[in-house]
Amino acid sequence: MSTPLIGVSKSILKIKELISHVANTCLNVLITGETGVGKEVVAQSLYAESVRSSKNFVKINCAALPETLLESELYGFEKGAFTGAHKKRQGKFQTADKGVLFLDEIGDMPLSLQSKMLHVLQSGEFSPLGSDQDYKTDVWVIAATNHNLEDSMAKKMFREDLFYRLNIIKIDIPPLRERKEDIPSLIEYYIRLYRSEYPENHGSKPEPDILEKLCQYTWPGNVRQLQNCIKKQMVLNSWEKILDDLPREHPDLSPQIQINGQSRESYSLENHEFANNRPSIISEFVDLSTSSEKLFEDISLKKIKKMASDRVEKEVIGFVLDKVGWNRSRAAKILKISYKTLLYKMSEFEVSPPVK
Amino acid sequence: MADPRRLLIVDDNEDILSTFYEFFNSMGYEVKTAVDGFAALKLLKDKANFFDCLITDLVMPNISGVGLISIVKKEFPHLKIIAMTGFGDQPGALASEANADVVLFKPIDLFDIEHTVSDLINPKNDNP
Ligand SMILES: Nc1ncnc2c1ncn2[C@@H]1O[C@H](COP(=O)(O)OP(=O)(O)OP(=O)(O)O)[C@@H](O)[C@H]1O
Ligand SMILES: [Mg+2]
Repeated sequence: MSTPLIGVSKSILKIKELISHVANTCLNVLITGETGVGKEVVAQSLYAESVRSSKNFVKINCAALPETLLESELYGFEKGAFTGAHKKRQGKFQTADKGVLFLDEIGDMPLSLQSKMLHVLQSGEFSPLGSDQDYKTDVWVIAATNHNLEDSMAKKMFREDLFYRLNIIKIDIPPLRERKEDIPSLIEYYIRLYRSEYPENHGSKPEPDILEKLCQYTWPGNVRQLQNCIKKQMVLNSWEKILDDLPREHPDLSPQIQINGQSRESYSLENHEFANNRPSIISEFVDLSTSSEKLFEDISLKKIKKMASDRVEKEVIGFVLDKVGWNRSRAAKILKISYKTLLYKMSEFEVSPPVK
Repeated sequence: MADPRRLLIVDDNEDILSTFYEFFNSMGYEVKTAVDGFAALKLLKDKANFFDCLITDLVMPNISGVGLISIVKKEFPHLKIIAMTGFGDQPGALASEANADVVLFKPIDLFDIEHTVSDLINPKNDNP
């Protein structure tokens, strides 16, 4: 069963009404909003209210797959289309025929794939990789993103023609902090749900003073974050503890990020869902106090990922080696890596036994 | 001309909306306005067959002009549609694809658009 769209705020009521008016038009829909606001819930509601609800709802995450894989997932491929294509495979455009194709994180689709996507949306035809045959497809396209596509277009990272073709119906879901009225009903709904799923758990509902605090919190992770708190409450049964554990905003961040003196820009960065509650961790990998140009040049997800995972690996390896008295073959077994890999990593991260 | 012609004008820019409203009113039309595609659709569903012509902007929140045109052409095929676009030719092309009767580019001369409206509503009025 898909999640119902819970909420009593003006914006959620309007979205519900809009859904009921457009669910049977099959016009392309673009859903926008911060992470965790419920973009997928809205996509599912559109599908559930449409005549296509008896057909497939096919989701593809355009941010999660590398370019070539994303392309073959979307369009499928013929046997022998590339090395490793031992068997012909159906693409999502075909699986979703007569149903819904949910293009999640469309803002992250590489430019190189955007023109092909545009072509399919225009013509309703596509051909699998390695095939010269055109297939007709009748899919209802619902796309979602937490990027500001206007910005992406200005930076030439998103095609304008594709944007306008997707943006026929636009559903923008405001962040939870702008519709606090929804918080009580979301809590009500999820507590009831978790109680029925795990009757042995006895997390209680928040008392009015706690509820007030929950409503005042800014919820950078939106409904997903709230939902996780409720899950925790079912186990801990202590709203005080949960409130204590909520990440606070960092008022000291804004003076650090001064983007060419433009305070508005720095405001939006500060409020960005990720930057918001994790400036400290970002600052461990890049120098946030530099100018924006330098800063943006230094930020590379790949590089940061490598630095972060190296650091964690180094710590874990040191920890395990310490526990087993620096017996390397035992440590390798525990870490579930080969002895050779362990030695390699030890030298790369300069992990060595403490000198006595 | 006993029966005034009825127009629905849709634009998310309130200034444009009121300018158009005043102008068409003074030309003897009965005018209703809406600030986006969704508001327009509700008006249309409420008063099916009431309007003779729809004038709509293209880039708007919730239901865009292109979306509105597609829905209207299916549900109220008799309604004449003029699309107005100010954003390059992407939305304009989509409006034609959605079968708008006329696509005009902003800025729009009010007397021109009134001519277009009257031509659309009274085709070949002068040769019986
Ligand atoms: N209005 C709502 N009613 C009930 N549950 C909701 C609502 N909005 C969000 N949720 C729940 O919150 C979680 C996050 O929602 P969802 O996955 O739809 O967010 P999203 O906008 O797609 O986020 P992301 O950008 O991170 O993908 C889900 O578990 C979803 O069920
Ligand atoms: Mg999502």
